[in-house]
Amino acid sequence: MSLFNSKKKWERDFGPYLILVLIWGLFCVFGLRLWYLQIYKGEFFAQKAKDNRLRKQSIYAPRGLIMDRKGKLLAINEPSYSLAIVREDCPDIDKTLLQVSKWTGVPFDELKANFERGRRRVKSFEQQIIIPNLSFEVLAKIEAYAPRWPGLKIMVRPRRKYLQGPVFAHVLGYVAQASEEELNKDPELALGDNIGKQGLEYVLEKRLRGKKGLKRMEVDAVGRSLHEEVIRPPQPGEDIHLSLDLELQKKVYELMEGRAGAVVVMEPDSGQILSLVSSPSYDNNQFVQGISIEDWRKLVKSPLHPLQNRCIQSVYPPGSVFKLVVAACGLFEKKIDPEEKIYCSGAYRLGRRVFRCWKKHGHGRVDFTRSLVESCDVYYYQLGEVLGVDKISTFARKCGFGQLTGIDLPHEKRGLIPDRNWKLKRFKEPWQGGETLNMSIGQGYTLVTPLQVARFVSALINGGKLYKPSLLSEESRAKAKGLPFADDIRQKIIRAMIRTVEDDHGTARRLRKDGIIIGAKTGTAQVVKLLSEYEEKEIEEIPYRFRDHAWMASFAKKRDRSYVVVAMVEHGGHGGSAAGPIVRAIFDFIFDQWKRGG
Amino acid sequence: MFDRRLVQHINWSLLGLALILFGAGVLNLYSASALRVEGGLTLTPFYMRQLVWGGAGFLIMLLIMIIDYRHLKSLSWYLYLLTIILLLCVPIWGKTIYGAKRWLGLGFFNFQPSEMAKVSVLILGAKVLTKTEDVLGWRDLVKVMSVALLPAILIIKQPDLGSGLILILILGGMILYKGLKKRVFKTLLIMLPLLLPLAWNFLHDYQKERILTFLNPERDPLGSGYHIIQSQIAIGSGKFWGKGFLEGTQSQLRFLPEKHTDFAFAVFGEEWGFVGSIILLIFFCSFLYQIFLVSQEAKDKFGTYLVIGVFFYFFWQVLINMGMVLGLMPVVGIPLPFISYGGSASLVNFCLIGLVMNVSMRKFMFKSG
Repeated sequence: MSLFNSKKKWERDFGPYLILVLIWGLFCVFGLRLWYLQIYKGEFFAQKAKDNRLRKQSIYAPRGLIMDRKGKLLAINEPSYSLAIVREDCPDIDKTLLQVSKWTGVPFDELKANFERGRRRVKSFEQQIIIPNLSFEVLAKIEAYAPRWPGLKIMVRPRRKYLQGPVFAHVLGYVAQASEEELNKDPELALGDNIGKQGLEYVLEKRLRGKKGLKRMEVDAVGRSLHEEVIRPPQPGEDIHLSLDLELQKKVYELMEGRAGAVVVMEPDSGQILSLVSSPSYDNNQFVQGISIEDWRKLVKSPLHPLQNRCIQSVYPPGSVFKLVVAACGLFEKKIDPEEKIYCSGAYRLGRRVFRCWKKHGHGRVDFTRSLVESCDVYYYQLGEVLGVDKISTFARKCGFGQLTGIDLPHEKRGLIPDRNWKLKRFKEPWQGGETLNMSIGQGYTLVTPLQVARFVSALINGGKLYKPSLLSEESRAKAKGLPFADDIRQKIIRAMIRTVEDDHGTARRLRKDGIIIGAKTGTAQVVKLLSEYEEKEIEEIPYRFRDHAWMASFAKKRDRSYVVVAMVEHGGHGGSAAGPIVRAIFDFIFDQWKRGG
Repeated sequence: MFDRRLVQHINWSLLGLALILFGAGVLNLYSASALRVEGGLTLTPFYMRQLVWGGAGFLIMLLIMIIDYRHLKSLSWYLYLLTIILLLCVPIWGKTIYGAKRWLGLGFFNFQPSEMAKVSVLILGAKVLTKTEDVLGWRDLVKVMSVALLPAILIIKQPDLGSGLILILILGGMILYKGLKKRVFKTLLIMLPLLLPLAWNFLHDYQKERILTFLNPERDPLGSGYHIIQSQIAIGSGKFWGKGFLEGTQSQLRFLPEKHTDFAFAVFGEEWGFVGSIILLIFFCSFLYQIFLVSQEAKDKFGTYLVIGVFFYFFWQVLINMGMVLGLMPVVGIPLPFISYGGSASLVNFCLIGLVMNVSMRKFMFKSG
């Protein structure tokens, strides 16, 4: 009975108990939870709230300007507009990218793939560039609608502009978007940053780049900035003054238009380069905005290789220009008596082979000076045979051939000065005596760059110093190696070079100019041994690719200033007639500039 | 006609607590309405509207207090029918806001019949409960629950899962209070877990999404997990003392969504810290306790069940909303009474307090009257 009663009582009081338990439960559970969130993890959430609203953002540093030796601007920065996305602010990334695709015409899949690839490089709440370099039409379209798309931001960044485009393309190179690999290597780089990829932009990247600044922004939930504070101002990159002369470079570029080849104008007394032209060229501005696949293919597939810097990256047989080296070597080794005359019948026999002089009927009796002035091959066949390959190649290397000049440009080629070991390694065959003869007139395996020739000629007239060719006006006479021969030998060669211009039979007589001392050596480098069928023909009748390369290595001196000009015209034919007029025009320009007071 | 003793027996503590909570709500809304923009704050007028609605609710409360609650017994069916009709009107003439048809436009304001349903279901439920035996068997259980069924289905169809569930939960609470036969209780306990997967299939995709997100907010931090994460950041970053009135960065910089409605408590927690939040929680619990006390003092069963219904009306909303804001429950669109902005809700809150006051005032009436 009592049991029944207590059961009844429990049933009657169940409701009120339940309610009291519910109220207490509510208080305890939520009270504990509040304690957990606000006290136990309060600091953690406070930080999260801070991360929410305080964002750090880089301030781009302007890249250093590049100027010519007179301070004329060659590379500047102009504002460029990019479209960026902030993931955390964007409620629906796919939808947003789809809209971006509609605006810009870039396929959605491509945008999405780029976005996915880039997202792990971008910290949370940072802007990730999805379209760099917006065109003005697209910018106008997006600017009107972007505020309706939370997460989309238009960023203004400085962008490189090369005022002279192709004229300085090979010297300046270009900047372009940093690759995956480059981003990995350099933590300072952010996705979409441009860095130097070629030329001086590449070599001087560290100095030109500057340091990004940092600002802190307070933003609201859609990423609108309410307040900004610069924590670290950006440091602009260093401005660079080149040794090159804009006017001269332009002139040389014009002269080389329509030809393939290279021209180096150098100041022999300082090693500074006044002009460095490789033709044909390309517009380096294309790369800054991201070159299209089509344009890229055009550049790469072009048979004339416009991307190649022929001054330092192309190697050519030097032809008769090399006779300067062999001549010096002969004098140095005392194998030549300058007065002694050698008979040139137009051919020279070595064993069973006949080596021909370029002048079919021979030069007759030729002394040292005339051998250079008229570029007699037989003289050098004989001299080469006496010297032997070992002496010539060692000597040539000491003159800077087969060696890097050390110019501040990437991918310089060494060229080639062959010797016995090289031949053995390369062809598994011993050196042949005939090859020495070929080498003596700058044919055969010997390969040089136009810059090496310019450096050698500079050393001839600057007192024998092989400077590192310099593109920067600040640098002069930094590193120099001496030529391996004495001054009297140098003087003899210089005199012969001057005769080559002044003598009526000289191969460079067309350079002659009143009041200025000019010396030169021509070269006509065979590309292939011309087939007999072309032998008698005029240059225009020979197919382009079979034509000889034309060289002209020269210097000019007026009062105490001197200049070295080396011109190389690929498949130009004869050195004097193809490269000569170019060199002549360059000297005219330089000395006219004097008169103009430049 | 008007008995002076009624005024003497006004439950001042309940009224005081309700007004304190309402005041805290308006104050909090003032802050939640503030948006920091470049150069200062702008205010949206939510707190003003809340004041107007609350004031209107207060007047209706006074009216309700005057009429003896026992008349409701006979009115309950008419009220119920009117509610059903209004609910049926919603899909036809209703206004669509946020993709759901929940509102009826009444010219100068929009009205949510689902709010009214809570009141009428509660009253009819109380009436039906008085007619049952001490503890409910299967037959009574079905009878009482069926009161909630039709309006609940209509509301869930709107879709407004939260309000529909509240309806069922209110009646469920009242039934639990009344008590079930042991057999029935045990069977229900066993069956409930089995019903869950079935219920899952009835849910909309977005509702399933919310539940999944609740279980793991990080699975979609910018989408459905955003609310949960930002709400906890807001509350947690308040720490012990809070960031101060109008100083909450989470809400004013718009990181916190629905900050004046469902997540208003998060704004409060951010600005008033642990101290303020606990005090608010104590006020809520005292408020609930006061309602409970009235139910125990009521002089008839109808009054008791009526007040218990009101208790559960408030209890479930506090539980679900705070649970959601504190990250203990999935996101369900249930406002926090007095704190969240809501016109119809404010009106109904005061009406129901009026009912409780009504019962409380008349606890001594029966003997003498």
